[in-house]
Amino acid sequence: MAGTEAVALLALQAILSGILVGGVYGILSVGLSLAFGVMRIVNFAHGELVMYGMYAGVVASKNLSIEPLLILPVSFALMALIGAAQYQIVFRHFVGQATLQQLLAAIGCALVLQMIAQLIFGADARTASSNFTGKYVVLGPFFFSQAQIVACIVAVVATLAVSLLLQLTAWGKAVRAVADDLEAAEVVGVNSQAINITAFALSTGLAGLAGTVLVTYFPTSPSVGFSLMPIIIIATTIGGLGSIGGTFLGGIFCGVIQQVTAMMWNSALQDVPLYLLLLLFIALRPTGFFGLRSE
Amino acid sequence: MIDAPLTTRDIARPLRARLLTRPLVFYLSPIAIIALIPLLPFVNNYIIAAMVRALIFIALGQAWNIVAGIGGQLSLGHGVFLGLGCYTTGILFNKFGVPPWIGGFAGTLISLAVALVMGSMTLRMRGVFFALATVAVSLALVQLSRHFVDLTGGADGLALKFVGTSLWAMQSRSPTPFLYAGLAFVVAYYWTTRWLLASRFGLEMRAVRDDEVAAAAAGVAAFRTKLTGFLLSAALTSVAAVLYIQYYMAIDPEAAFGLSQAIQLQLPALLGGLGTALGPVIGGALMIFLSEITNWGSTKIGVEGLDILAYGLMLLVVILRAPKGLIGLIVRDAARGATK
Repeated sequence: MAGTEAVALLALQAILSGILVGGVYGILSVGLSLAFGVMRIVNFAHGELVMYGMYAGVVASKNLSIEPLLILPVSFALMALIGAAQYQIVFRHFVGQATLQQLLAAIGCALVLQMIAQLIFGADARTASSNFTGKYVVLGPFFFSQAQIVACIVAVVATLAVSLLLQLTAWGKAVRAVADDLEAAEVVGVNSQAINITAFALSTGLAGLAGTVLVTYFPTSPSVGFSLMPIIIIATTIGGLGSIGGTFLGGIFCGVIQQVTAMMWNSALQDVPLYLLLLLFIALRPTGFFGLRSE
Repeated sequence: MIDAPLTTRDIARPLRARLLTRPLVFYLSPIAIIALIPLLPFVNNYIIAAMVRALIFIALGQAWNIVAGIGGQLSLGHGVFLGLGCYTTGILFNKFGVPPWIGGFAGTLISLAVALVMGSMTLRMRGVFFALATVAVSLALVQLSRHFVDLTGGADGLALKFVGTSLWAMQSRSPTPFLYAGLAFVVAYYWTTRWLLASRFGLEMRAVRDDEVAAAAAGVAAFRTKLTGFLLSAALTSVAAVLYIQYYMAIDPEAAFGLSQAIQLQLPALLGGLGTALGPVIGGALMIFLSEITNWGSTKIGVEGLDILAYGLMLLVVILRAPKGLIGLIVRDAARGATK
């Protein structure tokens, strides 16, 4: 009896931790999903912008002795600028076509951004400490990292803000129009280039913001972008490429599966069930739970 | 040596006439030059080793070029088949003394099985999902190969037992035998690509690549064509993996399945010219030349990773400025087999 109770408690702990971790996976992925939904761009360099967001947190905490969470707007703005430049130099040429060339160009961006980070910050892993780092909340039989709780709250707020921005503002309406039908949107007077570049900047800005939140409990290194990309891709595909809310839920779903695997089976293999799930989704339901219909 | 255009008139000509579009000496002299290089007095093992590396990555690039360049399916995780080939060959040799001649065969069979499962699950979908699936499989294999330490040596990787120079074990102290083996691979893969470009099957692959709906309407079995191309490319990668593991004598999870390795498999064809027979040859040689220079530069100024930076910049410049690769730059309207 006690045995099953312990297992049930462990499972519940895993699920709750999974939701916290998953919320951050959600905000990591929302930007990628947005860029795909609006421009059909799969930005393989998304993880690299997350990585720069993480380094922004490191610089704030170690070099400037500022609470990393206070610089969230700064890292959002910086990564939005980098994203706008990236769009202007590279992705402008590939709007509307997730082709081989587009994916490869994104990989090229990722390599360059990764190596620039290595030249600036060195190859070693770096950490940042916020006021919440390393502190825990104990609730009855459960315990949670304070940094993860705060990160998850930021993730929920940011995702809601983006959804409201898209639903309620004139700009959001124009973005949805361009996503729906670029030519028709231009006919009624929407400047699609301006919409695309701002939407792309929002997408990478979110990556930067997510990175700065993440670094309060997860160390960064130049290659961290590559290692985060799989989970971002899986969350986006399972939730639905192009759907903001769906992608966020996809992130939570991934977090839960990952934590349950890690705590109840084997933490070294925590991502393997996710990779299998991705294959199953691609084979059976490539639009994910809430995604755009496949053309 | 640029690929001949494929027209209806050409299809009517016999295959041999379509393949040998130039005098035989044109094809044989480059082979002879490479083969004679080790005999030159100033050539040392360092130069030969660099050439072997170039030949290995040319062969791997030629194999990737078939699925991506001719077939238009972006396999971002082709390291899967390199890694499966290397690990199978290495494990069978270290644990059971099975020579790589047989181990490589087993590795190729395993790769084919994995490619069949991956392909049947994902090739019916839009291309981007195939690309994502190949990434997922390669990263899952990174984690799995790190985890099963008894079998794979874990994160440290697997070192082949050295038994001295032996043809049976495909081992040699000097790099020169690998130069000839690599040359044989590159020539064989070059002609495989040429044959593919001239054959009906290659035409179908390119038709599916350029417009899947139109190809299907014209009676091409699109899914089967994509799958066959993927299987062929996976098998050729796995066979070349034997050369890789026998030359490097070691493999680890990142070198086998990692994304940076996958990019090195893609660069030769991308730099040289996607979908052409000569592209990966030129691109692979350039890639290794570049990596030698940047490695030298890295040690000179004490900064790691210049080669990856150079790769990334080359990739961007080629895709944005010369989408047909170097071949496309050298010969205007060359590479009619190339990706649009």
